[in-house]
Amino acid sequence: MSETEESEGPIIRLKDVTIGYDPEDPLVDIPEMEVFPGEIVAIAGPSGIGKTTLLRTIAGLVSPISGSIEVCGGAPSSPPKRGELGYVPQKLGLVRHASVLHNVMIGANAGNKAPWALLPSSLARSKALEAISSMGLVDKIGEPVRRLSGGQQRRVATARALAQSPKLIMADEFLSELDEETMQMVLGSVIDYVRSSGSALLVVEHDISRAKSMADRLLVIDDGRINPFITEITAVEVKV
Amino acid sequence: MRAAINGPRMALAASMVILLSLVVLDGMVNDWGRLAGGFDNLVLFFHQSLWPPDWSVLEPQVYPVCTARAPFEFTCSTAWIGVIETIKIAFVSTVFGMILSLPLSLSAARNLSPKWLSYISRFVISGFRSLPSLIWAIFFVILIGFGPLAGVLAMSVYTVGYLGKLQYEAIEGLNKTPLEAAEAMGLSKMEMAFNVVIPESANDLISHAIFMFEYNFRSGTIIGIVGAGGIGYYIDLYLRFLQYDKVVAYLIIIFVVVLLIDFVSIYARSFFNDNDDLRRPTWLDVFVPEALKMGK
Repeated sequence: MSETEESEGPIIRLKDVTIGYDPEDPLVDIPEMEVFPGEIVAIAGPSGIGKTTLLRTIAGLVSPISGSIEVCGGAPSSPPKRGELGYVPQKLGLVRHASVLHNVMIGANAGNKAPWALLPSSLARSKALEAISSMGLVDKIGEPVRRLSGGQQRRVATARALAQSPKLIMADEFLSELDEETMQMVLGSVIDYVRSSGSALLVVEHDISRAKSMADRLLVIDDGRINPFITEITAVEVKV
Repeated sequence: MRAAINGPRMALAASMVILLSLVVLDGMVNDWGRLAGGFDNLVLFFHQSLWPPDWSVLEPQVYPVCTARAPFEFTCSTAWIGVIETIKIAFVSTVFGMILSLPLSLSAARNLSPKWLSYISRFVISGFRSLPSLIWAIFFVILIGFGPLAGVLAMSVYTVGYLGKLQYEAIEGLNKTPLEAAEAMGLSKMEMAFNVVIPESANDLISHAIFMFEYNFRSGTIIGIVGAGGIGYYIDLYLRFLQYDKVVAYLIIIFVVVLLIDFVSIYARSFFNDNDDLRRPTWLDVFVPEALKMGK
């Protein structure tokens, strides 16, 4: 029985959520949003509208101004549990002075549910190696991340998320700076993982045509008011 | 609204500060006439007592008998023994201080620890730093008696205070995105410290430790005066016997060793910077000023 069949409920559920850093100046209102297992959902919209803040809020890094957020079946408004969320931030969040392997091992260890996971297990190591290989970075495994190109660093961050075997991957512009061939390879690996594991992918993508090409659903944060940073509703759903 | 800073305003402010300092100084000095003749006294003191230095401090001591062969007899001299002991004290106390300061600074960093823990750790670090190493040395000499162990303990405590502050500031200056990524993954604070914070700030931590060794050597020359070991012990001894020419010889030796450690420190720290493309200095760069190499 696959994980998809096991968990029928949504992986992400947002209900009447308002996000932003200042209650007086909210960024986005989301009446309802759900992401289901095995699904790939893209969020698009103009720059500065609150796409990244939405991801950070779902990741538990920013508190919502109001509303209820459930992630991976957790209690409403509680942050995701250890290893359940693979996060590829826009600025990647890599340890620049450490090697590719070290960075990906951080993700693999997060996937290790042992209470004392400081020491990497052999399972974590093999997961890390597999993820590095799927991103085509085997020849860079011992290289400090700061010496890699922007595109290679993006692949390291994606490998870190994959090595975690998460229930949900959230990626912020993770395909930018990649050439067409590499982009297909990275996207292929991530989609394969999502489909086969019954997890979900929520991706922020400013390029709407690219978002449509990869996603099952596209949520457009629409800027319909005079103040461009206050949005009535996100979910103008477009079935691709 | 804050006024913009401009040239005349800055000049006026600087003049006021200087004037204030002169007024305060005048309030503290009863008799300015004491300055008259000060320079003449200095010249007299220099020629009669300080110069030339007495380099016999580099000769082997009479007792214990020196077993070193020529040309290494100088290793039995008080200057050599004192300098080496000071270097040992500085090295050991830097290592001990670093081991103790790292967990404290991790718990003092506000981006890693809850506020209450951060305040407690900062309080401890500030407490260690608030007394100079000389006062700590007096304290430990009273506690455990004369000798280098008192020096090591004194400088280790001070190192925790000084290095701890440098370390938590370096940790707080880290880019927050790697920490956020780790937090989103659900890593524990301990895992974040070992897997993200320490590797990411390693260059700063190592560079600070090297600087601290350099600093501890300089302080180590002083703490011997209160009986905590090192070259300061001999300086104090000759000061008591009014043998200022020997004291000057020690001071010159300390100056040369401090310069050497400074140079080595600059070279060592150049390996721990963020810019790979920055050209590392060669030993020639370290010891020979750029101007002297122009003709080569």
